[in-house]
Amino acid sequence: MTSSNSIGLAWTLIRTDFKTRFHGTFSGFIWSLLKPAALFLVLMSVFSFLFKDPAYKLQLVVGLFLWDFFAEGTKCGLTALHAKSFLFRKLRVPLWILVVAAIANPFITMTVFSVVLVLFLTAIGQAPSLAAIGLFAFYCLSMTFIVIGFSLAASVLFLKYRDLNQVWDMVTQAGFFLAPIIYPLGIVPEKFHFYFYVWPPTPIIEFSRTALVSGHAPSLLAHVYLLVEVVVVLGLGAMVLKRMGPRAAELV
Amino acid sequence: MTTPLVEVDSVSKAFWIPDEPRHTIREHVMAGFAPRPRRRLPVLDSVSLQLRQGEAVGVMGANGCGKSTLLKLVCGIYIPDEGTITTRAAITPILDLGVGWNPELDAVDNVYLIGGMMGLSLMEISRSLDSILEFAELRPYARMHLKNYSSGMAARLAYAVAFQAVRDVLVLDEVLAVGDAGFKKRCEQRYREIRAAGHTTLVVSHEPYIIGAFCDRAVMLQQGRIVAEGPAADVAAAYLANLVPAT
Repeated sequence: MTSSNSIGLAWTLIRTDFKTRFHGTFSGFIWSLLKPAALFLVLMSVFSFLFKDPAYKLQLVVGLFLWDFFAEGTKCGLTALHAKSFLFRKLRVPLWILVVAAIANPFITMTVFSVVLVLFLTAIGQAPSLAAIGLFAFYCLSMTFIVIGFSLAASVLFLKYRDLNQVWDMVTQAGFFLAPIIYPLGIVPEKFHFYFYVWPPTPIIEFSRTALVSGHAPSLLAHVYLLVEVVVVLGLGAMVLKRMGPRAAELV
Repeated sequence: MTTPLVEVDSVSKAFWIPDEPRHTIREHVMAGFAPRPRRRLPVLDSVSLQLRQGEAVGVMGANGCGKSTLLKLVCGIYIPDEGTITTRAAITPILDLGVGWNPELDAVDNVYLIGGMMGLSLMEISRSLDSILEFAELRPYARMHLKNYSSGMAARLAYAVAFQAVRDVLVLDEVLAVGDAGFKKRCEQRYREIRAAGHTTLVVSHEPYIIGAFCDRAVMLQQGRIVAEGPAADVAAAYLANLVPAT
């Protein structure tokens, strides 16, 4: 399959999945966009009531949405090949397309959230600079590649280990508290920060907050670290898929 | 003589059947990651086959003799344990009709979905959408959800997409007999057109008539080995004779 055909197939899978999910209706499409926007407003209202520090509630919302994408994206990606096994047992379909297509829905939710967040910041007089928006887009993209990398490996491993999704559920529950979502990383002694940063969502959440809420840019070294993390996760994922993928039809 | 488009050289394939199934991490941990006792189920044993440009080759044999495994190996869905498979052309596998249909979508979306999976580009699907619906006689029902189609209508659509997606080599597994007499005739006609256009085909069938009428030569498999090879009509007759118990 040529690369343009692969992209065409990925697009068709994403489009038809979206259409099926929302019954092909315009109201369904609007609802899919409104849902993350509505959740954003609900969370902001509740946090405004609970927390007096305006920066904290924004940081909390940024952390929660990015985490939600990570948790939902990896969950969908992990079962992607198993859910579509009837395809690659009868046709030669590039497996990565099935994995990427499965992550599309959480990705759309995160994209809508990102737009709503920027609009909200602008509305309350804290409009982020173009550079900050660019950095945030880069972090979202990094998170997407990390989710894809994890899913490439996990989806093919799930064909062999059918309780991997339950194990991953437990990991993500623990991971929610390992990532500085509900607490600032500053309360952790600095000598332990490195270990927190090994958990991929941590640098992305921290850097996004720094760029969008605090209005600063993380250091160049921090970006290099993030890039290395993305490349390692994506590379490992691709390696596992390349190794186990050819026998995927026999594992189902 | 031309270079074969597909070359199957001494290919063997076996599946490993574990005596003690372990499907979870928990089961592997509980067993201390010790190797599982398992049995080897040989399916194909040193099979060699060549497909040349424009040829139609049939594969016959009793259930479980390895026909479908051979096709899946040729299509790249399985990988051989031993031997090599060299493909020098694009292959279109039709191993099952309607694989990947989404019943919640209409015919047009399903054509895009299945056409894409069979290797057609979006442009190619757009260009051939009308002829696909025309061939399947489903133009008036193009926007009807597939869940409301009869099985015959769905099969016609599947055929229409599959025949449109044909690349250099067409691989068919027991799918040349579907629909009413009229549709069957049109499918056979389409198959002849594909052959006349110079495509190469590999056809698996239990039906001696199909192998005899649509293939130039054929092989017969028995317990994973090729036991007969030659002109399609002769192999079909040998297959039939093999089925009749000796008196």
